[in-house]
Amino acid sequence: MTPEITALLADLDREGYVADAAIATALFLARGLDKPLLVEGDAGVGKTELAKVLARILETDLIRLQCYEGLDVQTALYEWDYPRQLLRVRMSDGRGEDPRAVEAAIFTRDYLLERPLLQAITRQGPPPVLLIDEIDRADDGFEAFLLELLSDFQVTIPELGTIRAERPPHVILTSNRTRELGDALRRRCLYLYIEHPDLEKEVRIIRRRVPEAEERLAREVGHFLSALRGRDLVKPPGVAETLDWTRALVSLRQDGLDAEVVRQTLGCLLKARADLEAVDGEAVAALVEQARGDGR
Amino acid sequence: MKDPAPRLVRLGRALRAEGVEATVRDEMDAAAALRLVDTGDRDEVYRTLRVALKIRPPGVDAFDRHFAAFWSGEAHAPARPPAPRAIEAPRVAPRSALSWDPDTRTLHGGRAPGGDGDDPGASPAALLRRKDLEAAGPGDVADMERALLRLARRLATRRSRRLVPAPRGRPDVRRSFRRALRSEGELLALARRGRPLRDPRLVFLCDTSGSMEAHVPFLLAFLLAVRRAVRRAEVFAFNTELVHLTRTLAPAGVRARLARLARAVPDWSGGTRIGLSLAAFVERHAPAMVDGRTVVVIVSDGLDAGEPALLARAARDLRRRARRLIWLNPLLADARYRPDARGMRAALPFVDQLAAAHDVASLERLIPLLST
Repeated sequence: MTPEITALLADLDREGYVADAAIATALFLARGLDKPLLVEGDAGVGKTELAKVLARILETDLIRLQCYEGLDVQTALYEWDYPRQLLRVRMSDGRGEDPRAVEAAIFTRDYLLERPLLQAITRQGPPPVLLIDEIDRADDGFEAFLLELLSDFQVTIPELGTIRAERPPHVILTSNRTRELGDALRRRCLYLYIEHPDLEKEVRIIRRRVPEAEERLAREVGHFLSALRGRDLVKPPGVAETLDWTRALVSLRQDGLDAEVVRQTLGCLLKARADLEAVDGEAVAALVEQARGDGR
Repeated sequence: MKDPAPRLVRLGRALRAEGVEATVRDEMDAAAALRLVDTGDRDEVYRTLRVALKIRPPGVDAFDRHFAAFWSGEAHAPARPPAPRAIEAPRVAPRSALSWDPDTRTLHGGRAPGGDGDDPGASPAALLRRKDLEAAGPGDVADMERALLRLARRLATRRSRRLVPAPRGRPDVRRSFRRALRSEGELLALARRGRPLRDPRLVFLCDTSGSMEAHVPFLLAFLLAVRRAVRRAEVFAFNTELVHLTRTLAPAGVRARLARLARAVPDWSGGTRIGLSLAAFVERHAPAMVDGRTVVVIVSDGLDAGEPALLARAARDLRRRARRLIWLNPLLADARYRPDARGMRAALPFVDQLAAAHDVASLERLIPLLST
C-alpha cells in the first residue's frame, strides 16, 4: 500500500473515524489530483463526518454549506449587507457627502456578507475543507452554478470585480441520492460510495466511539444490527443509530442484549413506523437470540 | 504495470459495453490516479480505479468482472446482458414501495401475495379482464374524467420552493433595501417575492397492445387531462409502431378520441414491440424532448414480443438522458402478478420507479414523482 494512504488511515483512526482502505484511498486521490470528492451512501454511514475529520487531520477550518431545495446564491455565496448600507447612506445625507463617494464606500468588502462558498475562496492561510452537504437536495440550477465554481474557484461580484481563490479548498460533496446528480458534476469529482459497515468494522466503530460499552455488548450490538439490516426495512439504521442505541444501552447498565430492553429501546434504531410495526416482539426475541449466539 | 493507458482504454470500452458509464475523461483521471499509487498492489489499484472511474453501486459487478482482465492484461470477456437488480425503494411514497428480488423473482412490499387465488395458468392478460374497470358506465367515466383533471391541475400548479421576485407575496427585504438605495435611502415601496409555478416536463409512452386493452381508456383519459393542464407534456402511443399523439389529443370527448386513436395506432390491441418502439423514440424524439429536467413515464405491462436486449438498451439510454424514468404497470395492482415478463426484467435495472397505475388513487400517488 502507498505509504501516504497507510498514514492517512492511521490519522483517520487517531481522530476516531474507523475507515477502510477504500475511504483513505479516495481522500488521498482527491488531494493528490486536486479534485472534489463526491461521497454517496445511505444516511448515517459517516459521509458528513468524513469531511469534519479531514479538516481536523489537515488542521484547517471546515466550511459547511447545507443544501436544501430553494437554496439560492444569496445564501450560498454572498449578499450585500443592505441594512448597514442603508444606514450609511442615511448618515451621509445630512452631511452633504458626495453621492459617488458614498456609493464607493458602501460597495466594498466591509459591507459584503460572505456566505460559505465565498468564505471558502477568500479564506487566508491553509486551504479549508469545504463540505457541500446533501447536494442532491439543491435544485439543478444550483448544481450548474456549483459546477462552474468548482472548475475555477473564482467568483465575480458585479460591484467589486472577480475574486479568485489563492489555493483552492478541499471540496467534499455528499449525496443521499434522493435524486440523480447531473452527469457533468459527477464526472468532475472523484467518487466514493460508503456502504453500511460490515460486522467487524461496526464493532470497531462501537468500541472506538462508545469505549464504555463492554466488549460483549459491542459484539452483540454488531451482530444484531447486521441481522436487522438484512430485513426488508424502509429505513435501515445507520452507524449514527447504532451509536445512539449503544449509548442508550450503556446508560441502562446493560452488558449484553436482553430482549425486553431491546424492545423498549428499539426506537433508537428504527425511525419509521412501518419498520417498528414489522419488527415486533417475536422478531426482536429471534434477533436477540441470534445475535447472542453469533456474538459468542 | 508499465503503461496502464492501453489497458485503461480497453477497460473503459468493456465497461461501456455493459452500460456502465466511463468517459474518456474518467480514463484520464484513472491514469493520473494510477501515477500516485502503488501499482504493484492489486487491491490498491482496484480501489483507485473505482474512485477515479466513478463506479457507482449498479456498475460494481461489471467492474469487478472486468478488473480481473485489466489486472492480468488479458482480453476482456464479452459483455453480459444486464441482470435484473433490486429496485431502490421509492423515497417519495414509501408505503407503495415495491422491490424486485432477483433471486426469488418476486415483488416485495406493496400488497401481500394473493393466497389461494394463485392460478399459475392464468395469463396476466386474463387477470386483467376481471377488473371492474370494463364495467364502468358513461357516468363513471365522466366522474373519473373530472377526478383526473383535478389531479392534472395539481400537477401543473405545484410551486417551486425557490423564491423569485413577484408582484405579490411576502416582502423581499433584500430588494426593498436595494431599491431604497436608489432613492437616497428612502423606502418608497416594498418589493415582494413568491414561489414560481413549477413547469414539469413530461413524456408519456403508452402501450396500447391487447394485454393492456382494459386499462388503456382509463390511462389515456389521465394523459389527456395531464396534457390539458401541463404545457410541456408529450404523449406517444406504441404497439408495433410508435405514434406521436400529442397533436391528436387536442379536442374534447375521450370516447370519440379513443376511436380516433384506434385508427391512428396501427394494430390497436395486437402484439407489442416495446423495445423497438422505445428505440424509435430514443432515436427520433429523445434529443429534442428529453433533457435533465424531463420525467419519462413508460406505461406498459412489459409483455414484449421483441428482443429484450433492445428494450434494455433503450431503457438505459432514456435513463441516462432523463431526470427520472418511471414505469407504470397496471398489472402490478394484481397481487398475483410477477414482473418476470422478459421485457420487464430487461428494463428493470434502469427504471427509477416501478409503480401501479390502475385507479385514481394510484395515479394520485404518482403526482409527487412527476413533479420533482
